Amino acid sequence: MATQTRTQGAVTAVPALGAERPVTWPKRTRARLANGLEVLLAESHAIPKLHGQLSFRSGNAAAIDRGPGLAEMTATVLRTGTKLRISRRIEEDLRSLGADLSSSAGADTSAIAFAGLTEMAEPLLGLVNELARDASFVDGEFERERRLKLEEVKLDRTQPGFLAGERLRKVLFGEHPYAVASPTETQVSAYQRADLLDIYKDFYTPENALLLMVGDFDTATMLKSIEKTFGAWSGKKPKLPDVADKAQPRGRRVYLVHVPGAVQTQILCGCHAITRKHADWIKLGLTNSLYGGAFNSRLVMNIREDKGYTYSPRSGVQALRQHGYFSVSAAVRNDVVAASLTEIFYELDKLRSVPVPDAELADAINYLTGIFSMGLATQDGLLSQLATVAMNELPDDYLETYRERVRALTPTDLLETARKYFDSANMQIVVVGDRAQIEGQAALFGELHVYDAQGNLLS
Amino acid sequence: MNRLQIAIEHAKLANGLDVVIAPDSTAPVATVGVYYKIGFRLEPQGRSGFAHLFEHMMFQGSANAPKMQHIKLINSSGGLLNGSTHYDVTNYYEAVPSNALERVLWLEADRMRALKVDDENLRNQRDVVKEEVRVNVMNQPYGGFPWLDLPPVAFRNWANAHNFYGDFADLDAADLADVQAFFKTYYVPNNAVLLILGDVKAGEGLALAEKYFGDIPSGAAPPFADPKEPEQKTERRGTVEEKFGTLPAIAIGYTVPERRTTDWCAMALLDQALHGGRAGRVYRDLVLEKQVAVEADGGIDDIFGYNGPTQMVTRILHRGDISADKTVEAFDAVIREVQENGISDEELEQIKVKWRSDYYSTLEGGRGGMPRYGLMHLLACFTLFDKKPELVNTILDGFLAVKREDVQNVAKKYLRAENRAVVFRAPIKSSENTAGEKEAA
Repeated sequence: MATQTRTQGAVTAVPALGAERPVTWPKRTRARLANGLEVLLAESHAIPKLHGQLSFRSGNAAAIDRGPGLAEMTATVLRTGTKLRISRRIEEDLRSLGADLSSSAGADTSAIAFAGLTEMAEPLLGLVNELARDASFVDGEFERERRLKLEEVKLDRTQPGFLAGERLRKVLFGEHPYAVASPTETQVSAYQRADLLDIYKDFYTPENALLLMVGDFDTATMLKSIEKTFGAWSGKKPKLPDVADKAQPRGRRVYLVHVPGAVQTQILCGCHAITRKHADWIKLGLTNSLYGGAFNSRLVMNIREDKGYTYSPRSGVQALRQHGYFSVSAAVRNDVVAASLTEIFYELDKLRSVPVPDAELADAINYLTGIFSMGLATQDGLLSQLATVAMNELPDDYLETYRERVRALTPTDLLETARKYFDSANMQIVVVGDRAQIEGQAALFGELHVYDAQGNLLS
Repeated sequence: MNRLQIAIEHAKLANGLDVVIAPDSTAPVATVGVYYKIGFRLEPQGRSGFAHLFEHMMFQGSANAPKMQHIKLINSSGGLLNGSTHYDVTNYYEAVPSNALERVLWLEADRMRALKVDDENLRNQRDVVKEEVRVNVMNQPYGGFPWLDLPPVAFRNWANAHNFYGDFADLDAADLADVQAFFKTYYVPNNAVLLILGDVKAGEGLALAEKYFGDIPSGAAPPFADPKEPEQKTERRGTVEEKFGTLPAIAIGYTVPERRTTDWCAMALLDQALHGGRAGRVYRDLVLEKQVAVEADGGIDDIFGYNGPTQMVTRILHRGDISADKTVEAFDAVIREVQENGISDEELEQIKVKWRSDYYSTLEGGRGGMPRYGLMHLLACFTLFDKKPELVNTILDGFLAVKREDVQNVAKKYLRAENRAVVFRAPIKSSENTAGEKEAA
């Protein structure tokens, strides 16, 4: 405890940190069934529930040749019927098990995520198994979900955040499948039930899957249930399509997406970075945290707490399986678009130029190592940490060694990392807003390209 | 049935501050919350949005921790922090490695004791709040729908009916004197509860609460305006322009029974019968079967966290080629069906299982990466509204005792036109406008 003085009864000095209590990650049990299904289990007994996901290592990127977004459509429709249960029965059975279930696909994976009461774990696993193996893709259900998807892709184009993300992905990835954030209306209209069946047959196989569960169960008993439920399933790993290289945009360019009447401007800047498997990942994580990844970060303190340009500035590293990119976002007042970009680049360049002071580095290390342990406290937090390790094929001791690896980093590491990955000279800048109000400001930062919300080039 | 029980310790300090401790050593993490019993419902008239603006000011500096220190101290201890303004409470909370517990308590006590902010801080946060309103409401399709749209149509008492995010003119009018007066009136220990959850022992938690908060002077009991609504005689309707979205939207809100009554428990389960995801009658009927709507969801938001008039709200985005009247008719048919035939025993049993399961998730669930937000929130609201944090272990009983006829009765009693408000969010451009445009580049 630090020395404390009392003024009018109050403790005026900040109490020192107490002795750190050890962080113990729960034991994980790995298994592989004879059919190739990988299983990863961890016990967590705080509530009488379990959280799980059945993940397949193929998503929209692997389906790109067949149709953008087809893996997502497949995941959406698979919950609407199996050989044994119609849609309504599935939803009512889930409710009777106290369960939630979602099926979705991202760029790299398709997944059935579920949570429910452990007292009814076995029937819930049975339903998950049925969805993974015996979905029936009934015509009427498919047609309805496709119509809903059409409305959804139209609505997406009215959201500034979506428009910014979509444009940045196009600019960074070019011909690579990661360029496609979402299908177009025409592409959705062209989906066929047969395409979904093909994807389902190819992607949803035990050799391509990982079953991950965290919860209030006994591991040995749960393993037996899993063997009993999923043991008879069979299917090979799908062949992955060859994909084009990502784009390599050089020089700063500005992409303005024109939204007439916008009362604010969504800024999103980005450049290529690395995947989670890369040896520099932890260094980049810490550098990002210090730049704009925490409330206390330089970017937030600058453009929010000092200047009041924005409510929610942040930066992050988006790690997809084949490539990762670094991005900075802020929704700012229309008259401070240029001022905000100036500060965004100032803080990037400063980290590239001046070593981080020791005290600030220590704070950032504390932050990152501290919040890392919070995942331990909830079942879905733990599930998400375990999924990150497993799906990215990180070493088994990743969770246990992460904190010491962060603590070992030095100001020189951060300087080198910022120089390598905060590629300020080649940063691509997207601004979504009303052209009349922001075009002049945006053009100060590089060659300007203007699009409408539908993606048409205006100039 | 496996019933989850939470061990809690409750004490009141001499200055009136309630303290609730819920030890759990699953992880070496402590969650701390301070809840004040004042939300946007009872903010001063002429100062719409002030409770929320004030919440921002609580991060701008206190007697011994100047601006930037609050955020820096928590983040650099390995923790997360935030605050949020609700109808009837405002909260400030942190999750930290448990070795930083004392530091968090010191900080919360420092700002309960003496807020220290200036004009520059106020200008800065007024700008930040305006960008928050723009990013969440004014620059978003369906922004503020329906949580800002319904109250002015549904309610007549200013407390329930005003713009909670704030008119910009009101935000501009707020000055430092308002900030200090609000602080002095409502931010007193006898109007607050301190919660310590997670890796802490009960005795240790209580001792630390006494050490840091014990000598903060109590204040006069804060005045509270009565949020009671005059009786509603007819259905209320309103229209709001939708600037960006292309589909028409409708919100339908029914005022719900008083909290912690038998009717309220039955209403909550009726809400699940109607809005329980894809199994719920509203989604099933409007989206899956009749297919008049693209989205249909809703419910009683934050059911344990309010202390005044509130509504069960259904939110519908419907097809452009189906009129608003036809859509409301389809919705009304769902309501009529449950009024006339009630729900089956099987449906009720399913809903009870799901309710119990969801309740456990609420207790465990985090917010923004912070574990145990849900448990903290319930303990705080049960303490401030009912003086009984232990309700967290018994509140389920009332829901599990609901009978079929109770559900049908509340459907008849509360789902009436003269107990509801309907808001139409009408797009200024239709979805058909984009259909002829070129393929995206």
